[in-house]
Amino acid sequence: MLTLREKRARRIAVAFIVPALLFFLLLNAFPLGQVLWDSFQLKNLLNKAENGFAGLANYAEVVKAEYFMTALRNTVIWTVLSVAGEYVLGLVSAIALNQKVIGRTLFRGVIIIPWVVPIVIAGMTWTWMLTPDYGILNIWMVKLGIIDQPYYWLGELNTALLTVVFVNIWRSFPFFTISLLAGLQSVSRDMIEAAAIDGAGVRRRFWHIVLPQLKTVSLTIVFIHIIWTAVNFDFIWVMTEGGPLHSSETLPIMIYRYAMQEYNFGQASALASMMLGFMVAGFVLYYFYATRKNRG
Amino acid sequence: MLISRRKQRILTIATYLVLAGFTFYCLMPFLWMFVTSIKPDDQIRTLNPSFLVKKMTFGHFDNVLNNSAFLTFFKNSLFIASVTTVAALLISIFAGYALSRFVRFKGVKLFGVAMMLSQMIPGVLLLIPLYLLMKNVSLINTYASLILAYTTFTVPLCTFMMKGFFDTIPYEMEESAEIDGCSRVGIIFRILLPVSLPSLVSTSLFAFLNAWNEFMFGFVFINDESHRTLTPGVSLFKGLYQTDWGSMMAASVLSVLPIVIIFVFLQRFLVEGMTAGAVKG
Repeated sequence: MLTLREKRARRIAVAFIVPALLFFLLLNAFPLGQVLWDSFQLKNLLNKAENGFAGLANYAEVVKAEYFMTALRNTVIWTVLSVAGEYVLGLVSAIALNQKVIGRTLFRGVIIIPWVVPIVIAGMTWTWMLTPDYGILNIWMVKLGIIDQPYYWLGELNTALLTVVFVNIWRSFPFFTISLLAGLQSVSRDMIEAAAIDGAGVRRRFWHIVLPQLKTVSLTIVFIHIIWTAVNFDFIWVMTEGGPLHSSETLPIMIYRYAMQEYNFGQASALASMMLGFMVAGFVLYYFYATRKNRG
Repeated sequence: MLISRRKQRILTIATYLVLAGFTFYCLMPFLWMFVTSIKPDDQIRTLNPSFLVKKMTFGHFDNVLNNSAFLTFFKNSLFIASVTTVAALLISIFAGYALSRFVRFKGVKLFGVAMMLSQMIPGVLLLIPLYLLMKNVSLINTYASLILAYTTFTVPLCTFMMKGFFDTIPYEMEESAEIDGCSRVGIIFRILLPVSLPSLVSTSLFAFLNAWNEFMFGFVFINDESHRTLTPGVSLFKGLYQTDWGSMMAASVLSVLPIVIIFVFLQRFLVEGMTAGAVKG
């Protein structure tokens, strides 16, 4: 039996969460249900005569689509390379910032800057620097002898995706820097000193003491970023729109094309549901890995 | 001393070199953006580009401000981001308080899990149903559509940030106020919020940045020039100006200006918020 005071507290608690709950139910949970529902429906805004239950037809159509496998492969390349690059740059910069240097706050501030500007602006500025005619990076590379003549980095089949990956790393690595720096600062000084007394060198101390202590924070940010990167629409859209010839098209770009260019909401939903499936699978794997580690 | 003096010196030099490299890497695009925006066209379209500006011009800025809808986009973004910030903050103060003080109730715990999961749902997967929803209630091409979407996607993060801050404030402070007859809302606004003002700043900073930088929903929900926000607006300049990079970069400079100003003054809070977000996951 709850006391009167507890009852009142519960009423207050409910009142406090209701606004956030309403937003969640109306604009998160309901649309999510709708995506799953629509993925089994024929729903085409251009062809309204076609509607009703579709079974798995939408899924079949999407998987059979000419560029589905390309988009899937691109999504994997895009995600893995981006997150790996971000992690390496984040770790290096975090270690450098963790040393006793003059102007540390300033350096830290400078390193965060790419992360706060809109993706659109970052993408556009790099596009300008990479243009084949008068782009400063092309001119520099020619002068340094790295390439013979200006190269259309964003317009060639084999470099478009990699170039966007490069720019994405530039914009996203600061998040890794800050998180890993926080992790490094909590590594216990005592343990490092003890290891030093036992004769462990700088490298040994880093690999065997510092890095293992970063495991939890690393696992978390890498996991979050795999999701954030895989579903990112802005970067690729702003820089290449998935082109040339679908060579930088990822699944989110494909969802957008199905929905807003072909108005085929059924197939777009099927693709979105599939991505959701991948995500849930990843989440479950992560969860099992994390809990097994805690137990063991 | 953990390492020999000679090694220490080498390490210090290496550290500064690495930091200098990162500084260049991070700042170079902005520098080039700014330099391009104040150069006349003949200095932009040259095979010998230089960071030195021989003849400064504000022609590109003039072009962007007076011959395009840039100012409209800017005002729209400012309005939408501000309203989103206030709305998200109000909602998440209460939700965060409930998560911090009332987790003993099963419903609140469940709500916490729901918030955590919703943080994981990416916007692009909800793009289609949200578009259809906005269309059905005729909110396409209105500020409300974006404010609603942005608030939804910012509330979970803000809620967890506020919860984290409330967790650090001892409950005893509230108890004495309660005995004095202060209501719950009164406690939050008179006692907790004044103490956690820095946290409030960093939370609102995040809400504002999220809304200001968002691209996809702004791109899809708004087709009408007078309601368009800054990020889709600027991206559409690309088609409009073709290769007038001077004007494009002038527009970019103007779009990052508010962020840079916020950033210079509030860097500390931003870092605090980022760390809170990362640790929580």
